[in-house]
Amino acid sequence: MSKLSAPRLAWAVIIGALLGLTGCGMTVPTDPDGTLEGVTEGVLRVGATPNDDRVTIDDDGEPSGNDVELVEDFANSLDAEIEWVVGSEESLVRDLETGRLDLVIGGITDTTPWSSKAAVTRPYLEVTEPDGTTLKLVMLAPMGENAFLTELETFLTEHEHKDER
Amino acid sequence: MKGKYELRELSEEKEATLKQAVRLEWITIAFLAVTVTLVFLVLGNSQAMKAAWIEDMLSFIPPIAFLIALRITRRKATIRHPYGYHRAVGVGHLVSAVALTTMGTFLIIDSGSGLISGEHPSIGTVVLFGNVIWLGWLMIGVMLLIAVPPVIIGRKKMKLAEDLHDKILYADADMNKADWMTAVGSAVGVAGVGIGLWWFDSAAALFISGSILWDGLRNMKAAVLDLMDERAMTFDDRRPHPVAGELQDYLRGLRWVRDAGVRVRDEGHVFQVDAFVVPKFGRTPSLRRFDEARQGCIALDWRVHDILIVPVDELPEMVESARHPERERHE
Repeated sequence: MSKLSAPRLAWAVIIGALLGLTGCGMTVPTDPDGTLEGVTEGVLRVGATPNDDRVTIDDDGEPSGNDVELVEDFANSLDAEIEWVVGSEESLVRDLETGRLDLVIGGITDTTPWSSKAAVTRPYLEVTEPDGTTLKLVMLAPMGENAFLTELETFLTEHEHKDER
Repeated sequence: MKGKYELRELSEEKEATLKQAVRLEWITIAFLAVTVTLVFLVLGNSQAMKAAWIEDMLSFIPPIAFLIALRITRRKATIRHPYGYHRAVGVGHLVSAVALTTMGTFLIIDSGSGLISGEHPSIGTVVLFGNVIWLGWLMIGVMLLIAVPPVIIGRKKMKLAEDLHDKILYADADMNKADWMTAVGSAVGVAGVGIGLWWFDSAAALFISGSILWDGLRNMKAAVLDLMDERAMTFDDRRPHPVAGELQDYLRGLRWVRDAGVRVRDEGHVFQVDAFVVPKFGRTPSLRRFDEARQGCIALDWRVHDILIVPVDELPEMVESARHPERERHE
């Protein structure tokens, strides 16, 4: 029995440590680079690539469309201003990696090849293509910024429920 | 013709123990199937969870190797395989060890490069019963849930491994007993990520990979030494098996024997023995004496499965007692 108590001790330490930290005002998950903290009541830097009518870019470079509105709603929920950057997917993912962007949208699906460079959200919309294939649209967030990712996914899930009503 | 040189089978008591071991191995496989599925469902982007998952997948090998080896060792010796099929245990042991070593090495490189390049693991959310919850909580929950059962199964198997002198079962039990460290290790890794320490994940993964590699190397050494006909050791490879000494003492105690020495090799479960005897007065005794000696040796221990008694005028050098100071005591 004395050896069996070793795992129990380890559990107690983990659970105790987590409770202690959350008790001290630390939220789980927390961002290693503080994205959520920086964005809240601040600026949300969003990269966009054009995608059908969900993300369109007008002549003076302003994005519009349903997905753009979705991101605007998300920014509002955080009291954040949006700073749009329009570019190719690769350049946007690079900016995401180096911390110059907080979010990338525009026709990215859950099978995206960028999954090792960026955090892929849960799908927020399913689109059926003319040939019958279903695409699950996702957004890209910075790698490992788990509080921000959680906030975003929670928002998207709640928004999805509103859409259904 | 069912002659007296037919190789020995296991006793009834051992058969019962063996059945128990088989049942435990099936329980292990069933438990692992549940574990692997659960862990896969909450795998996410965590390297520590990936390492723990791969270790769980690898844990299938020893029970399966045990069950297969058992079927094969049951075959009777034939002209083509005159020593029987007991070595299947050693082959199974080596195969498990190589698999562990390979995956351990791979995971160390994988986790180490993640740590060096500063990969931040992303752990998002899932919807569970209508609530959005952080996947990390589920990961920690699953890992703590699966931490304890293997320890209990492992302890039971360890006892049987000793009874059965089965090294695959020993390796398996030993791995199970250490399994809680993997589970708790990955839970700590994920908890670290939760509080914003991204490197906790890779560090936990490195720790788990290290334990896999260590298991692999240790077992590989033991398996190779057995296949290289190292003298028979106890089930945990800690010390020489006492049966060699017992056989030697028994043979030396016979009236017609001046001196005796044995070499014993582990065929997996059972031993194959070459016994060298120096008869008194330089004369070979009757065949009946040899037969009695043979039966006496076999009766000493169930592991003595196959024994050859060779009359010699001097003990060969590799026999332990040849260099033993007590060798003169029967003179």
